[in-house]
Amino acid sequence: MVMGETQLSLKENLSLELRRGVLVLAVLTQLHDEAYGYSLKKRLAENGLDIDEGTLYPLLRRLEGQGLLDSAWRVEESRPRRYYRISAAGKRLEKDLAAEWTSLARVLHGLLG
Amino acid sequence: MDLIDRYVHEVGQHLPWNVRADVEAELRSLLTESVEERARAAGRPADAGLATEVLRAFGVPKDAASRYAPDPQYLIGPRLYPVYRTVLRIMVPAFAAVTLTLIIVGQFQRPGEPPSIAPFIRAANGFFSGLLFNLGLVTLIFALVERVMRRQPVAAGTWDPSTLPAVNDPDRISYFGRVVLLYLIAAVALLFNVYPQWVSVVVFHNTDVQVYALLGPGFGRYLPVLNAWWAAAFLLNLVVLRQGRWRRPTRWAEFALEVANAVILAVIVVGPPAFAYDVIVKVVLQVFAVISVIKAGMQLFRLLRRRPAGEPWHTGSPASPGR
Repeated sequence: MVMGETQLSLKENLSLELRRGVLVLAVLTQLHDEAYGYSLKKRLAENGLDIDEGTLYPLLRRLEGQGLLDSAWRVEESRPRRYYRISAAGKRLEKDLAAEWTSLARVLHGLLG
Repeated sequence: MDLIDRYVHEVGQHLPWNVRADVEAELRSLLTESVEERARAAGRPADAGLATEVLRAFGVPKDAASRYAPDPQYLIGPRLYPVYRTVLRIMVPAFAAVTLTLIIVGQFQRPGEPPSIAPFIRAANGFFSGLLFNLGLVTLIFALVERVMRRQPVAAGTWDPSTLPAVNDPDRISYFGRVVLLYLIAAVALLFNVYPQWVSVVVFHNTDVQVYALLGPGFGRYLPVLNAWWAAAFLLNLVVLRQGRWRRPTRWAEFALEVANAVILAVIVVGPPAFAYDVIVKVVLQVFAVISVIKAGMQLFRLLRRRPAGEPWHTGSPASPGR
């Protein structure tokens, strides 16, 4: 029983790690049109990638701090929202990461048979 | 949305002040939106129950804040903590030993009188204030070193394995030794600048113990140059710590500081009176000046004769790596 729970927790941790690795690329691909945190979360979920809000929102700020995103506050529907959009540096990185991901996915498909 | 306001405020309490307001504003907007969206989907009003669900998913405020924090939020990191612990393990017993000595001396000062608790109280008071002061100073220095040693990661592909130091490398530094040196420099500088009356000599006369201030009124004129020397020595040690080893420029700086030390001592020795017991103190300073000259000579000899480790091997002849 304990072993089963450990296995489950291990699987969850490894899955989380795997998803975390592709999160940056996923976010960059969806910010060619500007979006605020919640709308981006919905956009990603509609595409099949459900990201925890507690992970996504800090990630947006980190990427902005690294110069990969630009942001601006705007008031819409009487609510202030911070909108993010991919920057020029972000676009360059997205291109590199996409090539890396394609190559990695091809290799893994081969390994998985 | 009282719950969201309380949550956002709590997260803000764990954030650096310079990003707090901005993160709080964004978080409040996002969480409110999230709760309202869930309410719309569930066809019910946005109430405390839905807010609880959203906040629970977002996580404990402290954890949520740590995801926003740009830098590690600690004063002394895991790399330096063992050294810090070792320094404290040495410092506390050393202070206890000094206190005990003072108590014993205090008892001997009063021959024929019954043992008294007064010297014990005085010594204990001195022990705690001295310990607190030095603990603060040591912690401050470690915190400074922690920030100085936060290095930029070396980009893969630019690192050259041939720059690896030799196993028996004379230019390798001891973090413990460097930090202790930083502490000593800071402690001496503080002593001379803030507590000059503590720079004193203890004279035992029969059963009487007298403490005399050592610094005379003329000493003040040397303080600016001494401060500059202490600042330069402190800075050099920080640079060496950051680089993780001695390199040729820092060895030259070490040599320059040693020469400056000898010059300053010589100037004080030949200058006007600056101390109580001026003649005796200046004889001691002469000895220090001579030691300093010898040390500077040895450093210069090493600099001219030997290429310090850490310089790229390919700059020298492959047949003679320089040591």
